[in-house]
Formats: sequence, C-alpha cells, structure tokens
Amino acid sequence: MSEIERPIQSTPNLLKALVVSALIALAVFVTIVLPAEFGVDITGVGSMLGLNALRVEDTNKEVITRPAEGDLVFRQDEIEILVPANDGLEYKFFLYVHSNINYEWNSTSSLYFDMHGEPEGDTTGYFESYGAATVDEMSGSVTLPFTGSHGWYWRNDTDEDITISLKTLGNYDVIGLK
Amino acid sequence: MKNISGRLLLLLVAGIFPNIVFGHGVDEGTQQFLTSNDGVAIVPFMYIGAKHMVTGYDHLLFLLGVIFFLYRARDVLIYVSFFTLGHSITLLVGVYLDVQVNAYLVDAVIGLSIIYKGFDNLGGFQRLFGHQPNTKFAVLIFGLFHGFGLATKLQEFEFAREGLLQNLIAFNVGVEIGQFFALLFIVLALSFWRGYSNYLQFSVATNIALMSGGLLLTFYQLSGYVIS
Repeated sequence: MSEIERPIQSTPNLLKALVVSALIALAVFVTIVLPAEFGVDITGVGSMLGLNALRVEDTNKEVITRPAEGDLVFRQDEIEILVPANDGLEYKFFLYVHSNINYEWNSTSSLYFDMHGEPEGDTTGYFESYGAATVDEMSGSVTLPFTGSHGWYWRNDTDEDITISLKTLGNYDVIGLK
Repeated sequence: MKNISGRLLLLLVAGIFPNIVFGHGVDEGTQQFLTSNDGVAIVPFMYIGAKHMVTGYDHLLFLLGVIFFLYRARDVLIYVSFFTLGHSITLLVGVYLDVQVNAYLVDAVIGLSIIYKGFDNLGGFQRLFGHQPNTKFAVLIFGLFHGFGLATKLQEFEFAREGLLQNLIAFNVGVEIGQFFALLFIVLALSFWRGYSNYLQFSVATNIALMSGGLLLTFYQLSGYVIS
C-alpha cells in the first residue's frame, strides 16, 4: 500500500518486539489482571499490591445451623414451584422451636410473598409473619419462635404463570405444597 | 505549526478533553433506560451509541493502530470508512436478527485485531512473511468483528422490538458520531507528536505497546470465556 509510508522493521527487531510485547502482556495479566478481576493470584503480587480487595466475593456467608432440641436431620433441598396465573399457594416445612431455616429463592417475575409460621396443633388459624413483600428474590435465615409448619405463601397477581426456584438448608422435614 | 506553545495547546486539548467524557460511566442509567424503554427513542439511542464508541477503548486502540501511519486526511477517511462499513453491517444485522455470538470470544478477536494492527505497523507481515495483506480488507474484516462486539453489548438488554430498527439505526449513527469525535482527538494528538523527530523512533515502542495491550485484552476476554 503505497500511501502508507512506514519503515519496515528488521527481522531481529520484529522478533524482539513480539517477545517484549508478549512478556509485558503476560506479566501484567498474571500479576495484576488475574488477581484483580478473577481472584487468581499465582505470583502473590496481587495480594502484595492489595488487589485482592477489588475481588467481588460471592457473598458466601457462613451457613448458620441450629438443630435445637429436635431429631431432624440436616438437609439441603432445591425445588421449582409453579404458581399459576392469578393464583396463590403455600409451601411449608416442619421445624422445631429455636431451630433455623436458611433459604434463598428467586422467581421468573415479581410476586407477593408472606413468610410465616403456624404453631403445631393450632386450630385458631394463628400465624406469625416473618416478612412480606413483592419481590423476585429473597434470601436469609429465620430462627423459629415455635414448633410447627413454617414457610411461604406466594401470590401471583399477574396473568402469566410464575416459577419459583427455592433452595433451603436446615434441620427440617418437608411438608410441601398446601 | 512549529511554534511550541501552539503545539502544547494542541496536545492539551487532545489529551484532557476526552478524560472529561471518560469520567462518567453512568451505565446503570443506560441499563435502566434500555430495559424500560418502549418504542422509538432516536436521540437517547444516538447518545448511547456515541458513548459506547467514545468509551470503547478496544475499538479506539484498533483505530489508533489503523491511522498511526496514515498522514493524509483522505487516507484516514478511506480506512475509517472501511471500518465503519464493517462494524455497521454486523451491528445492524447482529442486533436486528438477534445473532447469538459469544461476547467473550468476539472481544478476544477484537484484542487480536489490535495485535494484528500493531504487528502490521511494524512491517511484520512484509518482513516475516514476505507478503503485505491488503490493509483495507483487513480493516473491513476486523470491522465486522468490532460490530459484533458492539452488538453483544446491546443484546444484553432484552429491549422492545417496537421501534427496534429506528433505534438501532440511531444507535449506529451515534457510534459514528462518537467515532468521529474520538478520532478528532486521536488525530490531534498524532499530529502534535508527528512534528517531532522522535515519532518514528517511538513508533516501534508505541506499536509494541499496542500489541501488548491487544494481547492483554485477548487474555482477559479468553479468561472470562473460560470461567463463564
């Protein structure tokens, strides 16, 4: 291309250029980019420079487990629950007083939930709400104030079915859909 | 302009102004707009397009490599037009037909385009391969990949089909406006620098830096691909 006037480097210069650029890229990548972006610190330089602080940690909170005074086994469950359009349903677990349930759920679209518990053997319809909102995701841990069935009421006020993905950990028995 | 203070002013303008624009990064606002927008919104899409280009350092690095040894305005125009043609085709087709390409892989190729251009600027192909690949053709082809890179950023948002074509064209126009302004500053800076005798000396160092930057980008994008 005659319109471009540029010097053509000699072969040794070219090879040097290739090697130098590769070394620079590799060095910067391994010592700075990997630690800062991916939390991978092969050389230890990343933590020396304090780049680990930039790493966005997944909030791997310590899982609290309180089996309390009960004989239920610790377990972990995942389930998909379909809440039909313009409908509501409940999904419950049986837990002993002062034990806790860790949970995390998300849904294909926002819907109303009320997380609550009903004491075992109760006939008055009494329940205690641990929280209610209209969201598409929620997580946390609840330590129960009484033995009984605890869980969620979900209400879909839209004209489309909503699917909820629920994950739970704790010492409980699954009651399921009510 | 041989006068030194005139040159310094030129460099100041070329160097400082872009930083004002780069300083923003109000991406959540753009995100919110794109997901909630319904229907035709010409000027917002133009703005988003311009912003994408002005903050798109991978696109700008490639352009820097392309025009590094182009001394005539006519040549800059020709080469930039090939780049524009390439990226416009894949941007429009990619988003309108919702072509699914892996963003990491595309961005890795964009990194490769920067390496390619730096190597080409050093005369690497002529010296090591005895053949100079057609530079305009290369810019066009890499332009296609840059366009897919632009498209994937837009495709992250599932925005309304209504008014999509108009909004997309507005976005593309915005990209060209952004490209024009970015080039203005790059050309200003290059013009300033070319007044000095060390331009050719430092051109080797600069193109090494370009290759290095391109390789770093490629590593980064490939890592992202592997991890996801």
